[in-house]
Amino acid sequence: MLLEVLGVCALVFGLFFCAVGVVGVIRLPNTLTRLHASGKVATLGLFGLLLGAALLMPSTAMRLLALGLFVLLTSPVATHAIAASVNRRREILEELGQEPEPAETEETFQVDVTAALSRSKIQDIIEAQERALRHHTPEIKRPSDSGRDSGRDRD
Amino acid sequence: MIESAFAQAAVQLILLALVSLLLPASYRVIAGPRLSDRLAAVDLITTLLIGIIVMLALVEGTQVFVDMATALAAFAFVGTISIARYISEGRVF
Repeated sequence: MLLEVLGVCALVFGLFFCAVGVVGVIRLPNTLTRLHASGKVATLGLFGLLLGAALLMPSTAMRLLALGLFVLLTSPVATHAIAASVNRRREILEELGQEPEPAETEETFQVDVTAALSRSKIQDIIEAQERALRHHTPEIKRPSDSGRDSGRDRD
Repeated sequence: MIESAFAQAAVQLILLALVSLLLPASYRVIAGPRLSDRLAAVDLITTLLIGIIVMLALVEGTQVFVDMATALAAFAFVGTISIARYISEGRVF
């Protein structure tokens, strides 16, 4: 009986950290902080569930221990791979001379920034963006009409 | 198999809660602005699935489910590593 109460407590502990991790992954502002939140699910949440399962069903304790050791080894590696890929992608974009993707902002921040800008500044920014767009899009070269006509005549 | 009705009910409730956590986690897969966000969310969903399978082993009283969870963890690791490599290098191999 005591073992079962302890097991259910461990399960509730694990469930709590799973819920916290999911809320963090939804609410946190950028990729690296989201990785931080999902790491909580992988360690505290899953280990709470595994500990509770081992207490409730002692015959599977060895298999659960193996699963826990495996997750303990692989989960940080996977998280590190994702984080390193984020950094590497930013480096590649900088090497190519492109703007790195802007740090993500929640909508509330965007609303605050636009409200703080005066109308003339917004107009300036819009014009600058249009100029940059015109600068970056290459104009399609059309072959001169006379050349195309002469070619068609030859055929 | 768990004998007492209290532990059985608690395990089933926790299984239900874990399954219902899958839905908000998949929000980030759909809405995540970048590929790495989606990958992190898929990794999170796989971890939740491992927990769900372990809970299922408790409900059914079957040890084989724990082996299934181990296999899922192994394949999820390989998949996460290769997709992370695809994000950073632009190709897997």
